[in-house]
Amino acid sequence: MFELKNVTKSYLTPKGRRYVFRNLSLSIPPEKNIGLIGRNGAGKSTLMRLLGGADIPDSGAIITDQSISWPVGLSGGFQGSMTGRDNIKFVCRVYGAEGEAMREKVRYVQAFAEIGDWIDEPIKTYSSGMRSRLAFGLSMAFNFDYYLIDEVMSVGDAQFKRKCSEVFREKLQHSKVVLVSHSMPEIKKLCDIILLVRDGGIQIYEDVAEGIRAYNT
Amino acid sequence: MNSPARPGAPLCCAVNILKPRSSFQIQKSVIFALVLREARARFGERRMGAVWTLIEPMCHLLIFSVLFTLIRGRTLAGVEYPVFVLVGLAPFLLYRNTALRLMDSLRENRSLFAYKQIKPLDTYIARVLVETCISATVYAILVFGFAWYGFDMSVHSPLQWVATLALGLLFAFGLGMLLALITHAIPSLKVVIRMAFFPLYFISGILVPASYLPTAMMPLLLLNPFLHLVELIRAEVLPNYMPVDGVSAVYVISFTIVLLFFALGSYRARRLHLISTKNG
Repeated sequence: MFELKNVTKSYLTPKGRRYVFRNLSLSIPPEKNIGLIGRNGAGKSTLMRLLGGADIPDSGAIITDQSISWPVGLSGGFQGSMTGRDNIKFVCRVYGAEGEAMREKVRYVQAFAEIGDWIDEPIKTYSSGMRSRLAFGLSMAFNFDYYLIDEVMSVGDAQFKRKCSEVFREKLQHSKVVLVSHSMPEIKKLCDIILLVRDGGIQIYEDVAEGIRAYNT
Repeated sequence: MNSPARPGAPLCCAVNILKPRSSFQIQKSVIFALVLREARARFGERRMGAVWTLIEPMCHLLIFSVLFTLIRGRTLAGVEYPVFVLVGLAPFLLYRNTALRLMDSLRENRSLFAYKQIKPLDTYIARVLVETCISATVYAILVFGFAWYGFDMSVHSPLQWVATLALGLLFAFGLGMLLALITHAIPSLKVVIRMAFFPLYFISGILVPASYLPTAMMPLLLLNPFLHLVELIRAEVLPNYMPVDGVSAVYVISFTIVLLFFALGSYRARRLHLISTKNG
């Protein structure tokens, strides 16, 4: 579960301070797949980052006892001149997987991303498809209670997409997702609860269909 | 500073194989990972990157010490001139590079802050460690080379020397951090700051003893902690070197403490802003 207490989040822009959320309090029931919907710029991604701990509210607190992933498929953190293997190891170290655990993760990502011996080439020589397959595989190599997904569910060609959704279905047996998406069928398929982000506020809909209806009106 | 800074939130990490870690363990492994990454990035920039990373500062030091020997004659203040320059120039370059590299650290590591364990402070610490290791290696190679050539490279009071070097590093860390925070707020200042480091060569007594600098300007020049550091380091390495009047370790220590206070204070105040992707 997540509990937001009096959360205020703003960003400083050249034109002054812009508030995304002001004094927001809500609690999200446990064991639910969370769908975040809302118009562009409403603050969905900010909310996702806040839930994931990548961003910190100006004031207030976000309380959770769950482990939360980095955004699935994040490839921005890769260092181009380092090899794929070194980039995987970097994330392993940050997340505390060392020794045998690290080797196992590297093997898993290598097999999952189907990059073979490209794993020892610098990332900057990869095609964009390879890079995102690697990033996706890396997210799948770790087990979290919640996976954060910002729009991108699957990458690569049709065959790889199928593999992605298979692995994901398997993951969802034990884990939950926080999904940001504009695709309502996807939301309907995966989520049990809707957070509609609108005008600096958040409405919770336990009924997915109702949430989508509220978004469309 | 490094754990997910949410009051009341238990530390989280992946289930099954991975055990929950304490804040200190997380910070330790993050810094270790960043050091390796940083070193890899430095070495991987070019073909034979590791060699170039060492050769570049080596050439810098060699050219300066040899060039000025040819211009100024072989001895100065009772020591061989190349030794004199190397002893002061090497730490000065380390401090300058540390400060300047910290300044760029935020921009170059921004994408990493999506991993919540990684905080800007960790990237600063990792940079300082990598920079120090490279400098120490270069210095060791040069000292070995000089000694082999026949110069006397012994250190007069080694413990004090190490302490002063560490103090200087702390000073450079504080300075770099403050510069990083300032240039994060006002990015256009970067050029000015880079340029400001150039005259430091001359007013810090790198190439000549500080006693050769104009006496009338001394009170002003003594405001510069680099001058104190370089003079102190020389006095500790060279047995007969007399630092200029007014050079004191206490001044550098107090300057460093004040600097660190401001750097860490403004870091604390700006930390939300630093990891935000929305700006700069």
